[in-house]
This record gives sequence, C-alpha cells and structure tokens, in this order.
Amino acid sequence: MRVLDYEIPDDLYYSKEHEWVRLEGKEATVGITDYAQKQLHEIVYVEVQKEGEEVKQFQTMGTVESVKSVSDIFSPVTGKITEVNTELADSPELLNQDPYEKGWLAKISLTDLKKDMEKLLTAKQYADYIKTMET
Amino acid sequence: MNQPLRATHLYQFHRQKAKLVAFAGFNMPIWYKGIIPEHMAVRTRVGLFDITHMGRALITGAKSEAFLNYVITNDASVLTPLSAQYSTMCNEKGGIKDDFVLSQLEQDQFLIVYNAANREKDHSWLVQHSRAFSTEVEDVSDNVAMFAVQGPEAQHTLQKIADADLSKIERFKCAWTKLAGVQAFLSRTGYTGEDGFEVFVWNTPISKPENALKVWDAILKAGEEFGIEPCGLGARDTLRLEAGMCLYGNDIDENTTPLEAGLGFVVKLKKEASFIGKEALLKQKNEGVKRKRIGLRMMEKGIPRMRQDVLNESGQRIGYVTSGTFSPLLEYGVAMAYVSVENATEGATVMVRIRGQPLKAEIVKFPFYDPTKYGYTRQK
Repeated sequence: MRVLDYEIPDDLYYSKEHEWVRLEGKEATVGITDYAQKQLHEIVYVEVQKEGEEVKQFQTMGTVESVKSVSDIFSPVTGKITEVNTELADSPELLNQDPYEKGWLAKISLTDLKKDMEKLLTAKQYADYIKTMET
Repeated sequence: MNQPLRATHLYQFHRQKAKLVAFAGFNMPIWYKGIIPEHMAVRTRVGLFDITHMGRALITGAKSEAFLNYVITNDASVLTPLSAQYSTMCNEKGGIKDDFVLSQLEQDQFLIVYNAANREKDHSWLVQHSRAFSTEVEDVSDNVAMFAVQGPEAQHTLQKIADADLSKIERFKCAWTKLAGVQAFLSRTGYTGEDGFEVFVWNTPISKPENALKVWDAILKAGEEFGIEPCGLGARDTLRLEAGMCLYGNDIDENTTPLEAGLGFVVKLKKEASFIGKEALLKQKNEGVKRKRIGLRMMEKGIPRMRQDVLNESGQRIGYVTSGTFSPLLEYGVAMAYVSVENATEGATVMVRIRGQPLKAEIVKFPFYDPTKYGYTRQK
C-alpha cells in the first residue's frame, strides 16, 4: 500500500524503528523502509554486522550514513546473520533507490520467530504508525 | 532557549521547497533537492543561498578603523572603501571569539558580517570595546536580507539583473548596484571556495519582505539557463569543508587560536595597533603552536565525524576530528582535525577511529579538491 509519500508493501512486517522483515521459512531478509530512506535522504555509507554474527531484536546491527547524519540500524529480529548485501559497500544509494528489493541489508536465520512477531507490526499497523509520525 | 524559531524573508519559499532545520534560532532550509545535487550545482554551475540568518553590524565613526584594529587580528587599515577582508577577533588568551568578513563601506564606516550563532555575543563584545573609541556599533541584522550566489556561473547569473559591470569587481571587492531594480550591496566573497557574490538587500525588515523576494526570484530566474539551484545549509557545510574553511563552533572556538587553526594570515602581529589577544598570540608564535588544524582524506571506506579520535600508525591518540563529511565532489570521506604538531606532516598516514575501528587517512592540504580544476582559482 501507499501511505502519504511512502511505499509500504503488504507482505512485510515492520518495526517502529523503520526496518522491514520479509519472512522466508526460518530465514528473514531485513532492510530499512521507504519512510526511513526518505528521512535519511542521500545515503552514502552503509555498514552491517558480518556474516555469522548474532543479532538481537531491536539492538544495533549496523549503521547508515547520509551526507550529514549517522543513524543506527536496529535488527527487527533475533538470530544469526547468514548473508549480507555486499553490493551496498559500493552502491549505498541502493537503499534510496530500491529499499525493499536491491537495498536489502542482511539475511538472518531466526531463533524465535514467534517471540519476534509479538513486537513487529503488520503493513496496516505500520501505515497507521507512519500517519501519527507525520502529524 | 525555548523561543520560537525565527524566520527569514524567504520562509514561505523554504517551507514549500525545502526540508527545514533549526539553526542558530532560525528555521532554515537544510536542503531542497538534496545536499549532493546542490553541492554539485555550486561546484560546476551556480547556487543560491539564503544567509539572512547571519549577523551584520555597522561600525561608524571617525575612530572606527582604530577601534576595529583594537578588536580584530587582521589589519583594517589596509582596507579602502568598497573592499573586504577575512578576519578573526580574539579574547585576551588569543582564543577566537569569532571569524567574519569585514568590509569598508566608506570613509569611517565598516560592515562586519559574523556567524549567526554568535550574533548576541559579538554585538555585545563590539559594543563593550567601542566605548573607548566613541564609535557606534549598530546591529543591522534584522534590517537586511542576505543571499550568496556562488559558483563558476555566479557572475554571469547576476550580471543579467545588475546595473554595475560585475567583471570589474575583483575578489574581496564590493560594489553598490541595482539588482532587478532593487538597490543592493555586493561583495565578491563567499563560503564555498568558489567565485561568487554575497548580496545585501538593505532596508528590508522581515515585515517588508518585498525587495528581498524580488531579488531572490530574479536571481533564480536569471540563473535558470546556467542550471542554478537554491541551496540549503547542508550544501553550505559540505562546500566550505571541501574548501578547507573553518566552521565556528566546530573547527574554531574560544579555546582555539588563529595560529593553531592555520589562520595566521589574518593575524597581523606587526600592525601598528595593539589588539586584544596580541600578547598571547605573539607568545604562541614565538614558542610555536603545539597542535594544528589539518585536512584528512580517508583512504578506506568510512566517513569521519566530529569528535572522533585521530591516531598515529601505532595506535596512539594524536588528536581529534572537528568536522567531517562525505565529500560530494570527491566521493570519499574528508575531515578537519587538530593533531599535535609533530604529527601534522602533510602526506603522513594516520587513522581515524570510527565506531571503534581505526581506518586509514592521509594528511592533506586545503582545499581538498584540485584548485586548478575547482574553486575560484580554477583555470578557465
């Protein structure tokens, strides 16, 4: 769906820190939302934890920098990183251009999906949350 | 501190077209299209900035030059009417109270343009010291709109709406002219490293913004054929950083001297007048500075930021970053830092600790770009 100026795909789950989760069995792909990339604007550097490292839900898993600002990326789920998007090192602008596809950050093998889900938002819930942010 | 933000004459324009940010008590544009396209417009074509938030004061009186020479480090006596100079003023310890551009308007009258964040501080400092010289210091900040037109096409842009022949105005010279029919003062100065002008629209309080709007719109229209962009404070910061120019509060402050900052060229220890901070600066000059402002070019991916540590190759801390950014022109991280003078060798490899990780950087001279290709020194 599209809410205000922001794309919010229906089939993803979201965190209030503006990360998205795409579930594929016991694995999840994560990234930052269209809202996040538009707020950051002109992303020029991305750093994500390495393959094999553990991440915890809502804890820092990386950093994203625009020309002027530095922001933490919080993992929306708990688990172990199985793959990172290596293209981002040379093309951080993929986060601006295609936040839900080519701009994915990492794949994470999930430890406790059920517990993670308790604190994630559906597209509809995230859309409502965005509306409250914008007013 | 919870006062409402102040607006400039262009507030409606900014509100509609830019992302806004609070800066020095003003609601200012940080970017319109984006920092990178605005930055590149200035480096390769022309950009227009609203810099009305800056502080402006008129210094008037028979002893105005003597007064200025007592408070500033540069030599005001070399100014002639319609010329300008960059300068600092210091406290007794030689620490920088502010840096600014001083212009002489006519015999016994000067205009000082200082940092927005220092408006009150500078005004009261100047007033306090002016008494002994019976010189008048009048804050005209709220009565003047101020824009910067910067970039290799700045002259061509402004010439289309100016009465005066702008090709006759050299760098750091000034002129009165009509711009789009509005009386304006121009100085060939700026904060981007590029050629360009700063435009003052006088007698234009925010309650009567018409003349300011008229000039702003006319500049944007005149610059259309050159690809002009309105530019925000974001590009202003990345441009000045690439050019190696200091930002007050980041790279210089009351605990930094102009000698440490590499601004020795505006400290005239041999001028006739004694000035505030002279003794301390003279002593520092004779003993040699212990630390120095340097430029850093990242050799690894990573963007240096304010307050990060600078280390030598064996990992010892030798200084810290005072400004850092991703350079839109060069497409790597650049920074200004202070390091101990024995470690300040140009060409040396050092490390910047970014989120715990030491990343390699090279000490380079300012500006960061090739001055034969960019900036006001470019070869045409």
